[in-house]
Amino acid sequence: MYVVLILLLLEILIRVFYLTKDYPTRYVDKYKVEKWKPNQVGYSVTGLRRQNFSEYRINSSGFNSYREYKPLENKLELALVGDSYIEGFHQHYYNSIGKKIEKKTEGLEVYEFGYAGYDLADQLHLIHQYKSTFDLIDHVVVSFNYKYDLERDKYNVLEHRMRLESPFYKVLQKSKLLVYLQKNGMFDAPRNLVASFFKKSKSKTDQSDKSSLINKAINKELELKKNTYNFEMLVDKYGFDKSRFIFLLDSSKTPQKFLRYLGENGFRYIDFYKVLQQSTKPTTLIYDMHWNNHGRDLIADLIVDFYKPILIK
Amino acid sequence: MIFNSLEFFIFLLIVFFIYWFVLKKSLKTQNILLLVASYFFYGCWDWRFLALILLSTIVDYFIGIKICSNENNLNRKKWLWCSVIFNIGLLGFFKYYNFFVDSWIDLFSAFGYSLRSSWTLKVILPVGISFYTFQTMSYSFDIYYKKLKPTKDFLSFATFVSFFPQLVAGPIERASNLLPQISNKRVFNYKQVIEGGKLILWGLFKKVVIADALAPIVDDIFLNYSSYPASTLVLGVFFFSFQIYGDFSGYSDIAIGVAKLFGIELMSNFKFPYFSRNISEFWRRWHISLSTWFRSYLYIPIGGSRGSKLKVIRNVFVIFVISGLWHGANWTFVFWGCIHAIIFIPMILLGKKNNYKNDVIAENTVLPSFKEFLRVLLVFSIVTFSWVFFRSESIFEAFSYIKRIILDFSYVNYMHPQGFRMLDYYILIFVFVLYEYIIRKDERSPFKIKSKVVRFVVYTLVIFGILLFYDDHIDRSFIYFQF
Repeated sequence: MYVVLILLLLEILIRVFYLTKDYPTRYVDKYKVEKWKPNQVGYSVTGLRRQNFSEYRINSSGFNSYREYKPLENKLELALVGDSYIEGFHQHYYNSIGKKIEKKTEGLEVYEFGYAGYDLADQLHLIHQYKSTFDLIDHVVVSFNYKYDLERDKYNVLEHRMRLESPFYKVLQKSKLLVYLQKNGMFDAPRNLVASFFKKSKSKTDQSDKSSLINKAINKELELKKNTYNFEMLVDKYGFDKSRFIFLLDSSKTPQKFLRYLGENGFRYIDFYKVLQQSTKPTTLIYDMHWNNHGRDLIADLIVDFYKPILIK
Repeated sequence: MIFNSLEFFIFLLIVFFIYWFVLKKSLKTQNILLLVASYFFYGCWDWRFLALILLSTIVDYFIGIKICSNENNLNRKKWLWCSVIFNIGLLGFFKYYNFFVDSWIDLFSAFGYSLRSSWTLKVILPVGISFYTFQTMSYSFDIYYKKLKPTKDFLSFATFVSFFPQLVAGPIERASNLLPQISNKRVFNYKQVIEGGKLILWGLFKKVVIADALAPIVDDIFLNYSSYPASTLVLGVFFFSFQIYGDFSGYSDIAIGVAKLFGIELMSNFKFPYFSRNISEFWRRWHISLSTWFRSYLYIPIGGSRGSKLKVIRNVFVIFVISGLWHGANWTFVFWGCIHAIIFIPMILLGKKNNYKNDVIAENTVLPSFKEFLRVLLVFSIVTFSWVFFRSESIFEAFSYIKRIILDFSYVNYMHPQGFRMLDYYILIFVFVLYEYIIRKDERSPFKIKSKVVRFVVYTLVIFGILLFYDDHIDRSFIYFQF
């Protein structure tokens, strides 16, 4: 009884001090696009002692933004498509990269299609499925991360991500205490213990798994070939309008050969490496790799600078 | 397998269950279980050094019998010296061999002779060697001084030497306290188990919330002291005071709590030392098991406070220098010991050594008197100053650290190396000191609160604190393991 009461009070304390984030509901729409269920609000929390606290708002399109997406022929629009960096749960939704760009320009509407974990397959599939919408948008910036974005050559719904919507996980997420314990690594200890217990037998299994061994043995050159192949397959399957679409990437994390390949094949990109590197102030949250307010400011500036001729205020 | 790990708690639960629910009828099988569990616990660190514990156990077991069986005082002394030489020899080889070789080489170098360091060996320091060698020596000493009769039960003696809750970082138990408890039947006592659980919880709080939370800040400041302003250096050593206290007293509380789960009472090791009103009171409250060990087996045998003033001063220096050296093979610890000796000597010469012996700060009042408050502040400041030597990697670094504080005083707001809010830590220290002040009269009952509701809230807040400051990514081992 005593233990139950303590757990209950802990649950209350964690809720009162808002120490864990709210989990918006995700779903797969009729076009097989994974995104957030429309019209949700909540708070994103980073750090064990609420070091970062920001409100999010999922609009009717299923993305975190202060505005609704209604592109028209006679309006000037820019779309930002990407992963958690574009999604921007780490910043108040009214202070996102899109909003910052809008503030620095005149008459431009910025639509942010960010979703944590999106890779290039997710992004191009989204653009492809919502072709009619994207055809009305004048410019599209596609966030690109070489290391994680090219692991597959075609889109399919990722079951492991959608498993988070299973009744089991939903019930677990109802308890803020459990969510908090998970966040501070309390469950890692038993998981690691079990893992270390089975380590021996697992390593034997690994040895017998030839494909896994081959995967491990792929050197950078092979990886480049595989990634380039996946890139070509994705672009081929879902299309890529080189006149309107542009990549946003970090050149320090992208092989020179791949950058050359992009250049030679007419794929344009905005490189944010130098801008962030030259900044005298930190550009990421210190306890989290995502961009902080200053980092987002710099990215917004970079995009505005790129589109200066048509977007300047 | 450290106390603040899941592995330890699973291990503890299994041993506890078998101990009380499977083997409760037989003392012998209970002791066998404790011995096996203790050897397993130690083997998880490094099984190769189990042989050392076993050797130390066998040697002192037989020496104990030999001391007792000899009527001749000279022979008794010879056997005692055998025990001392053997244990100090073990300790000396594993802990101090390289230190002394390097020091000789440095000394020769200072006189212009260049020596090659071919004598230095790659010796690994066995965990807890300083603790269990001192514990086994106490057995031989107690028999020599006729305070104890040697046991003929080797199993009980081996369990006494290796009893896992206090094996790697104390408290350094006296055979006269622990051995009879191991040799005699224990009965399950619900109240004792609950008290043990409470001490474990409080110990975990001190370790996880105080020591581990401050560790990254202290490490950052001491590592980069040359680039920080004096205000930050003061903060660094101030936080280290709490880190080392939380770390070591937290360990001791958990050890005492775990022993209680098996029906065994260990001696207290800390009694709120930072509320001491003079330095001798501090040493009666800090690492009690070590300071009383030195007092009983070194200070008093070499003359203690008797004899000429010069002799007393010498005795105090001997005790503190050796105590410093016990902590580690580094001149920083010797220097740390010297500082305490220098502060301690006036207490003895002025006859104030025994002041505040039987009471605590604000014994009969809620708040301390202004005089008491100033005294506590002064003792804390001196002790904190001495920690600079304890924490620094070398004498040179310690002096550079202090020099920077004195000669280059400036203030700049310190930023946490991982970007966390510093305010959290200031509040944490304030609340911790306040709570320790409230419970200052009984170190063995950290939750002695009459109101059930308040007690329940305190339990919850302690667990809440552990959750707030638990960090899975930092080194969670205890500082005193290295000693």
